[in-house]
Amino acid sequence: MKRAVRVGAGEGLVITANRLLDGAIVWLSADHTWQTAIQRAEVLVSDAVSERLEGVQSRAQADGVVGIYEIAVRPEVGGPVPLTMRERIRAFGPTVHPQFAYEQQEGAGA
Amino acid sequence: MTTAIGQYQYDQVDRDFLAARIEEFSEQVARRLDGALTEDEFKPLRLMNGLYLQLHAYMLRVAVPYGTLNAAQVRAFADVARRYDRGYGHFTTRQNIQFNWIRLEDTPDILRLLADVDMHALQTSGNCIRNVTSDEFAGAAADELVDPRVHAEILRQWSTLHPEFTFLPRKFKIAISGSPNDRVAARFHDIGVIARPGDDGRVVFQIFVGGGLGRTPIVGQELYDSVPEERLLATLEAIIRVYNAHGRRDNIYKARIKILVQALGVAAYRNEVEAELAQMDIARYRLSPEMVASIEARFAAPDLQAPEGAAAVLAEQRAQNMVFDRWVRSNTHAHRSEGHIIAVVSLKPPGEIPGDVTADQLDRLAGLSERFAYGELRTTHLQNVVFGHVRQDQLYDLWRGLVDVGLGAPNVGLIGDIVACPGLDYCALANARSIPIAQKLGARFADMTLQEQIGALQINISGCINACGHHHAGHIGLLGVDKRGEEFFQMTLGGRADDQATVGKILGPALPEDDTVDAIARIVDRYLQERSGQESFLETLKRVGEAPFKEAAYDTV
Ligand code: HEM
Ligand code: SF4
Repeated sequence: MKRAVRVGAGEGLVITANRLLDGAIVWLSADHTWQTAIQRAEVLVSDAVSERLEGVQSRAQADGVVGIYEIAVRPEVGGPVPLTMRERIRAFGPTVHPQFAYEQQEGAGA
Repeated sequence: MTTAIGQYQYDQVDRDFLAARIEEFSEQVARRLDGALTEDEFKPLRLMNGLYLQLHAYMLRVAVPYGTLNAAQVRAFADVARRYDRGYGHFTTRQNIQFNWIRLEDTPDILRLLADVDMHALQTSGNCIRNVTSDEFAGAAADELVDPRVHAEILRQWSTLHPEFTFLPRKFKIAISGSPNDRVAARFHDIGVIARPGDDGRVVFQIFVGGGLGRTPIVGQELYDSVPEERLLATLEAIIRVYNAHGRRDNIYKARIKILVQALGVAAYRNEVEAELAQMDIARYRLSPEMVASIEARFAAPDLQAPEGAAAVLAEQRAQNMVFDRWVRSNTHAHRSEGHIIAVVSLKPPGEIPGDVTADQLDRLAGLSERFAYGELRTTHLQNVVFGHVRQDQLYDLWRGLVDVGLGAPNVGLIGDIVACPGLDYCALANARSIPIAQKLGARFADMTLQEQIGALQINISGCINACGHHHAGHIGLLGVDKRGEEFFQMTLGGRADDQATVGKILGPALPEDDTVDAIARIVDRYLQERSGQESFLETLKRVGEAPFKEAAYDTV
């Protein structure tokens, strides 16, 4: 079992995965669908996460996602911002190819 | 089909096998997509076909056997980059190419496209014998004693789909060179092989075992000084059998052969190998002169004919163009045949991503190879590309063609020729980004006159301890570490991968990215002050020790 992600005051958690078909990074939204834009991700409190994880794990094949896990974020006006560099790169794209940055507004559905 | 220079010619059996493997994988992909296979079941299957899941997408690693490519293969890479990726590919430190933005469902089509030009992604992952690497100047260098490609091909055939060695304790990497000037990092491989002519004219092999980088960097030790050609395969078979039997499978960090060689000691390891050889059916592994000749016959040799006066033409062009002249100084190597020269294309233009090539650049490289290099190219473990056989009177035109697509950087072997792994921007295992710091260093030392003044200085960068960027082997090595969510870099000095292979020594506490760039600039300044005459960085370091450099690195006043 993975260590639980620690969150500080004012921080929350979002659930993420990679899409099976193309490996694209996706985020779990409030309507339980997977979205490609982190702005659409639902920010959860710690207590709600494990139950939600169980639910999406059991639907992973049907939803076409792999490698589901939770990450810590800071909710900002423009949407959740991951706390670690790794997850910021996943959320916003590689820092070295500006042309590959992920769109910040509307994300297409998964 | 025309005969490709410098490459082994596949036959129908090879092609049928590849086609069958692709159909098999294609079915596996279909079964994964419809849910018949779970991710846990599918993952090892896709890895066996070179397909990794990285941060943003799937990554496909394509094998380039001993680093040799023909123009059609390079065009196929351009095609893959354009149609299935985002317009570029990345050459790795194992002479392979990786595509970073691949879709699972496209993979069978990509593999078919590659198979059309005799390429595949088998054994580029997993605990098997990986793609055998070799000297990028093979068959061309003036300082070469034996062309290592024939034996590299023999090793490729022996190790491909070897039933006993498909599930070793850990991955296994072999490099082979035929020059006393080790350009393959033989001593940092699980097995490093250096070929040379023996007393009777037949080839003998010096064999190193137990080298490696990663978490436990170790310089390989000599197991044998001169194994006769007849016994090459038997010896390698025995070495790996001993590893397969005794290598640790309980702990992934202690599973490489280097740990076993350390635990037993090289003498005891040799005894084990001898014991294995004594009870093996040696005849089965005998490499007869006829077998070697039959492999050799399937390599097409270039008909090297340079017009008289080719050297004079080159000299004249160098005298007329200082920029060209500088490129020739840094980016060429002496050829064995009169009137020819070896050209190295730097894939490290200042400020760019080391090892990245666009589809257009790949197409241009293919075209230039056809016009000027017998349609043949090589990849290097330092993430550059080589034209092996260029006529000296045509070098200038080749250079113009390179400059035209932004590949004219005159920095091979210099401080701008940085080796870097993909790091945190792409790699799922990374602690820190390797590419941005490489770009910053490249930009900081972009002045080509300054680079030439500084001279031979290799910077190697890895984004984590797995050491894909060979940081321990860099004259200056950088290892990305994660300090409470911040990217820091630990610096090592004095590493080298040649015949005097050394693991770099850690200089001191890790620094944040920008401080690291400044610290390296101060180290270089200090070197320029300290050096006497034409001393290289490594020579100065050896003479004065690390103290002045440590002082410079941490002098933040
Ligand atoms: C992005 C996907 C990659 C992954 C997941 C990956 C993973 C790894 C791992 C886990 C190791 C350590 C193995 C061990 O010590 O047992 C390793 C070593 C190594 N990798 Fe990578 N790597 C990747 C990309 C690359 C690239 C792009 C290069 C070349 C630039 C490369 C070249 C190497 C080399 C040369 C080693 C050597 C260390 C050794 O064999 O001791 N890898 N890699
Ligand atoms: S060294 Fe680490 S970060 Fe770099 S490619 Fe290898 S595994 Fe990834």
